[in-house]
Amino acid sequence: MTTHLSRRNFLRTASLGATGAFIAARMPQDAFAQEAMIERAKNPRFLIVLSSFGGASQVDAFLSRRESEVPNAATLNAYPDDMVQTIGEFRAIDMKGPSIGAIPAAFTANQSNFVRKNSNDMMVVTHTGTSVNHFVAQQRSINGNAAWQGRTLQEAVALTYGAGYAIPNVHLVNGTGFTERGTDNTLPAYVYGERAPTPNLWPLSLDGYRGIAGAPDRKLFEAARNFRNERLDPSSDFFRTFRNSQRIKHWADIRGDALRGVEAEDLITKLMLFPDSEEMPLAAHGLTGSAIGQKVREAFPNYEFDPLEAQAALAFMLLRYGVSVTVTLGPEGSAVFKKGVKLGEGGLGEGDIVNPPISFDFSHQANRQVQAVMWNRQLSIAERLISLLKSEEFRDGQSFWDRSMIYFATEFGRTRRRPDNAMTFGSGHDLNNGSLIVSPLANGGRVLGGVDVDNMLTYGFDPTTGRPEPGRNMTEPEMYSGIAHALGIDTAGSNLPDMRAMRRLA
Amino acid sequence: MRKLTCIGLASLGLLTAACATAPDPAALQFAGDSPAPVASADPRVKFKDGERYLRDLSANLNMPREDICKELSRYDCMTDAFRIVLGGVEAPNLLVNEPIENAALTSPIAVDRVALHVCSKRVRMDKESPADAVLFKAGAYGEDGRSTTPDKAWLSGAADAIYGSILLRSPSEREIQNLAAFYPQVADGREAGSTEVAADWVTLSCFAVASSLEAVFY
Repeated sequence: MTTHLSRRNFLRTASLGATGAFIAARMPQDAFAQEAMIERAKNPRFLIVLSSFGGASQVDAFLSRRESEVPNAATLNAYPDDMVQTIGEFRAIDMKGPSIGAIPAAFTANQSNFVRKNSNDMMVVTHTGTSVNHFVAQQRSINGNAAWQGRTLQEAVALTYGAGYAIPNVHLVNGTGFTERGTDNTLPAYVYGERAPTPNLWPLSLDGYRGIAGAPDRKLFEAARNFRNERLDPSSDFFRTFRNSQRIKHWADIRGDALRGVEAEDLITKLMLFPDSEEMPLAAHGLTGSAIGQKVREAFPNYEFDPLEAQAALAFMLLRYGVSVTVTLGPEGSAVFKKGVKLGEGGLGEGDIVNPPISFDFSHQANRQVQAVMWNRQLSIAERLISLLKSEEFRDGQSFWDRSMIYFATEFGRTRRRPDNAMTFGSGHDLNNGSLIVSPLANGGRVLGGVDVDNMLTYGFDPTTGRPEPGRNMTEPEMYSGIAHALGIDTAGSNLPDMRAMRRLA
Repeated sequence: MRKLTCIGLASLGLLTAACATAPDPAALQFAGDSPAPVASADPRVKFKDGERYLRDLSANLNMPREDICKELSRYDCMTDAFRIVLGGVEAPNLLVNEPIENAALTSPIAVDRVALHVCSKRVRMDKESPADAVLFKAGAYGEDGRSTTPDKAWLSGAADAIYGSILLRSPSEREIQNLAAFYPQVADGREAGSTEVAADWVTLSCFAVASSLEAVFY
């Protein structure tokens, strides 16, 4: 009886936005496990993976060092003293330049504004990875090198908090290791990432009926679905022959309660980022834009041509409307230019290139300039997401941001050597680096670990106290564990190390 | 008008099942059944990716591929809208080099949309140009041209057209019965012999078959 009442209360929890159609199917049999699942879903944490393709280097940002601090500064990646700002425990580089390596586009990049505004929630942790292969290192940044049976951080979050959410784990960036499915095949289907590759049209795939001209009445359409599911398919020779196929079983499963749960939430409207326009003739098809569309578009005004801004806008809407508990977004491999820029007609103006080709990895051509441009881009996206999440109340005076974490996942660092005193130089991949995590749940205001100024490589820290430990390198499983624990994920039985130093609360 | 439907269906031997408030599925499902096929011990079915699916429907329903399914009347359902969730790849921009291993949560919704788009459009075309009709042959509901409500021959013919066009095979007697038994649901509370009811039944039967497991997997 207690379980029953709790479930009813759970379904009434408006902030979850769940209708219950799919929740019942996700409920474990065991009453105790049911209670635990309900409690977690009522009290979620949100993980935003802001993937930083190509090697977002900490020594070009929050762990940068001044030339005066580095004995061999002429040949190591230390910055001129006047470029490095110290803000609390963090460093920041603000930079302007006439070109991004071979790309003749002037740029202005800023890190200090973000640090000043968010340093209390910022935590930089040093670590050393195990691969300089992009795809492999991307995967390891989110699965801790198979630290917990191969499940990704996103899957762990979806498993812990996502039962009451229609699509708990959404991948807005695709084709990267950051969004590769984990290798733990024991998890329920709903925790694996759902691909949402086209923010403008993807919401249409959240309702099988609305916006289709000339279709019969919806009630009849639903009757046809039931007829197909309950009579036509079960009696077909095809089904009776291949009914043991896992693909068939999975399909039959997701077109039942899961599908109804998604459609019942009217996500085709809530998540419609784009307004009615000639390009998106919503009204003519009986559709409307999201009620919070205007607010989100104002925060991300370049959503029409910048894939990352469109991703970020949809990411916020997914969290705000209680659709997801984890979203993964990030720059893609293609160059992005400001709207209206015409190539091949002379040089580019300042800011005309929004995203250099291959993102952070264009550091092969011009390390400092690319790191500056890309960090500026990532921090700008993060800043706007944080502002939006702070502006929306989750419950009881808490904002969505109070329960969120932005993890700037990246593959590796960049090599530290440079030609004598060069300002523009290319860099390679280096296992040694660190990660930026921004969250009220993390041990904010802290740099965990440090930089050895003799070689500009990072070193680790004591997992309990956070005290710097020169000579120690933090591992991928330790990073995974620290993030999971800061998000309140129960990792009992996983043998993951306790990384007390990475979370705000004990 | 429900009575008219029942009269039409009576000739198909479905009076009891089709006109009951809650028809007994078993009575319909297994009437005239052939022996159930043996379930495969090692079933290896594949998802028919969106492009293959649409090309098949395009060829079989005599609808140009480029016009068969447009979201918001301008975006191709496969190429622009649902390419990835329908098992396609898009390497140049999205870096998706391999189709999804398991169907996404939104895949069956996308399939339903595509099937409904296609079937609604096909029936609309049939109504606009009866001489070239593929699925919905209106004007008369019986071979003698005098019936005012679908009779056995009309329902069987429509079922045959739907299965033949979409699955490229004839329906079994059981499948014809199943589709016929669905008619009263479509006609419920409406004039059973009206063109609109019949057109809706064809559209929704087309939808059910086009989004069936047999149509989506191979």
